[in-house]
Amino acid sequence: MKFLLAISSSKYSGPTLKAGAIISQAFNAELNVVYVGTKHKGLEEGPLDLSRENLAKWNIYHPGIEVLEWAFKELQQICPENDELKSAEFNPEHIKQEHNRFKMILPTTVGCQVELTLREGELIQELREELRLDDYALTIIGGSQGTRNMAHDLIQYLPSSVFIARGMDLEKKYKLLLLVDDSEATKRSVRFGAEIAKTEQWEVRTLTVSKTKRFGSGYSGAAEKAKAYLEKHDIPVEQFFLTGDPVATFVDFARDDHIIIMGASRATPLKKLFFGSKPIQTLKRSNTPILVVK
Amino acid sequence: MRISADMIFWLQQKRWLLIAFSLGAVLYHFVPGPTGLSLEGYHILIIILMTLILILKEPVPLPAIALQLIFWQVIIGGSTPNEVGSYFMNDAVFFIMGSLMLAVAIVSQGLDKRMALGIIRITGNQTWRIVAGFTAISAILSSFVGPHMVTAMMLPVALTLIRFTPRSGKSSSGLTAALLFSIAYGATVGSIGTPSGGGRNVIMMNYWAEFGSGSLSYLQWMKMVYPMVLIEIPITAFIILKTFPPETRVLDTAVRRLLVEVAHAGKTTAREILTVALFALILLSWMTLSEDYGLGNIALIGIFLYMAFGLVSWKDLNSGVNWGVVLLFGATISIGVQMKNTGGAAWLAELSVGFLQSVIPNIDALRAVVSVALSGIMSNLLSSSATVAVVGPVVLNLGGDPILLGLASVIASAFGYFTAVAAPACTIIYSSGLVKAPDFLRAGWKMAIMSVLSLMLVALLWWPVVH
Repeated sequence: MKFLLAISSSKYSGPTLKAGAIISQAFNAELNVVYVGTKHKGLEEGPLDLSRENLAKWNIYHPGIEVLEWAFKELQQICPENDELKSAEFNPEHIKQEHNRFKMILPTTVGCQVELTLREGELIQELREELRLDDYALTIIGGSQGTRNMAHDLIQYLPSSVFIARGMDLEKKYKLLLLVDDSEATKRSVRFGAEIAKTEQWEVRTLTVSKTKRFGSGYSGAAEKAKAYLEKHDIPVEQFFLTGDPVATFVDFARDDHIIIMGASRATPLKKLFFGSKPIQTLKRSNTPILVVK
Repeated sequence: MRISADMIFWLQQKRWLLIAFSLGAVLYHFVPGPTGLSLEGYHILIIILMTLILILKEPVPLPAIALQLIFWQVIIGGSTPNEVGSYFMNDAVFFIMGSLMLAVAIVSQGLDKRMALGIIRITGNQTWRIVAGFTAISAILSSFVGPHMVTAMMLPVALTLIRFTPRSGKSSSGLTAALLFSIAYGATVGSIGTPSGGGRNVIMMNYWAEFGSGSLSYLQWMKMVYPMVLIEIPITAFIILKTFPPETRVLDTAVRRLLVEVAHAGKTTAREILTVALFALILLSWMTLSEDYGLGNIALIGIFLYMAFGLVSWKDLNSGVNWGVVLLFGATISIGVQMKNTGGAAWLAELSVGFLQSVIPNIDALRAVVSVALSGIMSNLLSSSATVAVVGPVVLNLGGDPILLGLASVIASAFGYFTAVAAPACTIIYSSGLVKAPDFLRAGWKMAIMSVLSLMLVALLWWPVVH
C-alpha cells in the first residue's frame, strides 16, 4: 500500500507531516512526500533553468529542495524506529529529474518506505500526475494550500481516498467519527477507520444521520454491520443515531475533537460540480480533519 | 453521455483555451470587421487577440501557442503555408536562437567565479559600493550579452554574499533585496544599450528592414542609446539603496567567505581564456560586420566555433535552450509582418492615435506617448520581446520617424519593473524566493519614472544631435 503526502512549507506542514507518518505507519504503507512549488510561465523557463543549473554549481539548490530536506529530517524524528530512514542522508546532489518531477534518491535506504518528490505547477494537477505514476490508496494534505474551490477539487479530482488534515493538532486527543450510511463507500471507510483505531488506540464513534425520524433498514443495518466489524477487531465503539440535516449534524457533532471518516459521494461529477456533495459540504463547513474514502 | 470527473477537470484546466478559441470563432463568424480594416487584417487581429489570451493564461504549453499562431495564419489569416514559413525564420530569430545557445555555452564555463573576484576587487567590502558595482557590472555586461545570461552568472555571487551575512537571508532583509534588485534592474537597464542586449532590439531592427523603414548599425544604436544607460546606472543604484536600505554597512565576513569559495576555482584555464576570446570576437563582429552578415548569423558562427573547439556539446545546447521561445518568436514575427501587410497594424495605429488625439493635440508628442505607453504597459504583462514583436508593427505605422519611434518603443519595453514576469532578470531573482511581488512595486514605480525621464532627456536633447 502506498500513500501520497503533500506538504506546503516547513512553517505550516508540521502537523500534516506527522499525521501522514502516523497513518502510514498504521497501514505499514509506503509514503511519498511531495512538495508542489510554483511553476513559472513558459517564456521564463529558459532563463530560470540556466540560472538554476549555475546555482547548483555554487551548492545553491533548486527552490523546494529545502522543504524536502526539512520533511526528511522531521520524518527521521517522527519515525525513530525506521532504521533505514535513520541511517539515510539527504544529499541534494542525489536529486533525479524524471516524469516532469524531481525525485530524491535516498542511496542508503534500499527498501526504505519514504520517498521525496518535488514538483512544480498547479497543486491539484501535479498531485493527479503523481497519483497516475503509482497505485496510491490515499492522499494526505494539509488543506491550507491550493485553489479557490479547494474542497471540491480535492475530493472530486484526486483519484485516491483523501485525508485533509486541516486544523490538525497532534497534542489533542481525537476520537474517530465514522459516518455510516447504506452506501458501498461506508464499508471501505469503516475498514479504513478500524485500521487507524487499532494502531493508534483512538476511540471510535459511529454516527448515522437521517433526515426524518425514521431510520430505514439500510441505514440501521449499515450501522449494525459497522459496529459488528469494529467489535470483531476488538475496537470498542459508541453508536449515535441523529435526525436532521446530515452535513450540519456531522459538523456540529464532530466539533474540533473528532477526525471525520466518511465515504465518497455517489452523485455524478456534474451534480457534484454544481450542487456539491456531503463530503464536499462537510469539508467546507468543518474545522476538523476529514478522511474521505473512495 | 456520462461526463467523467476527468473530463470536467480537463475543461476546468483548459477553460482559457476554450474561451480564446470561442471568442475567436464568434468574432470570425458573427462579428463583421470594423470599417477601414481589410478582412485579412481583421482576421490577423483575431489571431493576435486569441494568442495574447493564451500567452497571458498559458492553458497550453508555450510551443503549442506558437504552433496555433502558425496554423491559424494559414486557415483564417489568408496566408499560404510557404508565406508564413518565409517570415518565420529570419535574422532576428537566428539571433534569439544564437543568443540562447551562447548563454548556455558561456554560463557553463564557470566564469562567474572569476567575475565575482573582479567585482569584489573593484568594489571592496562596503555595502553601497557592492550594490553600485553589481548594478554597473550587470548593466554593462547585459548591454552586450543580454540580461538573462548576466543574471544567471551574477545571482550565485549575490546569494553567496547573502548566505554568509548573518540575518540577511529573509525576504524582509534590505540587504537581500538591494543585492538582488541591483542585478535585475541593472541588467534590465543595460539591455537596451546595444542591439545584442536583447531579442526585442533585434526584432525591431528586423521590422525596420522588413518594412523599409531605414536601419541602424550596431555602433549607431550604441551612440543613440548608450548615454541613457550611463545616466540610468547611478540613479538605479541610488533608488535601490534608498528603497531597500541594507542593514549592514560593511560585508566584511561575507566578502571574505565569498573569496574563499571563489579561490577553489584555481588558476585561469586555457578553456576559459578561449571562451572569453571567442566571445570578444563575436562582439567585435557584431560591431563591425553585422550590417553585412547579420547579428543572428554572427551569433550562429560563434556557436559553431564554441562547438568546434569543444567548449560546449550539442547535448548541452539541446537541453539548455528553450526551443519553445524560438518557435514563439518566429511565429510572433511572422504574424507581425502579416499585421503590416494586411493593414491591421496601420488600423491599430490610427485607432490609438485617434483615441488620444483630443488629450494630446501635438502629433509628435502623441506618437511618442502611444509608442512608449503601449510598450511599457504591455511589457509588464507579457515579456519585453513578445511586446516588441506585437507592438512593433503598430508603432512603425504611427507615422513620424520610424527609427526614433521604434527605438522609443524598444526602450520602453524594458520598463517592466513592476512585475516579476516582465523581464527575465526580474523572474530569476523572484524565483529565489527572497524577494516578493510587492518589492517590485516598491522600487518599480520609482524606476519607471526615472526611466521615462531619462528617455525624454535623451530623446529631446541627444537624439536630435546624433540622428
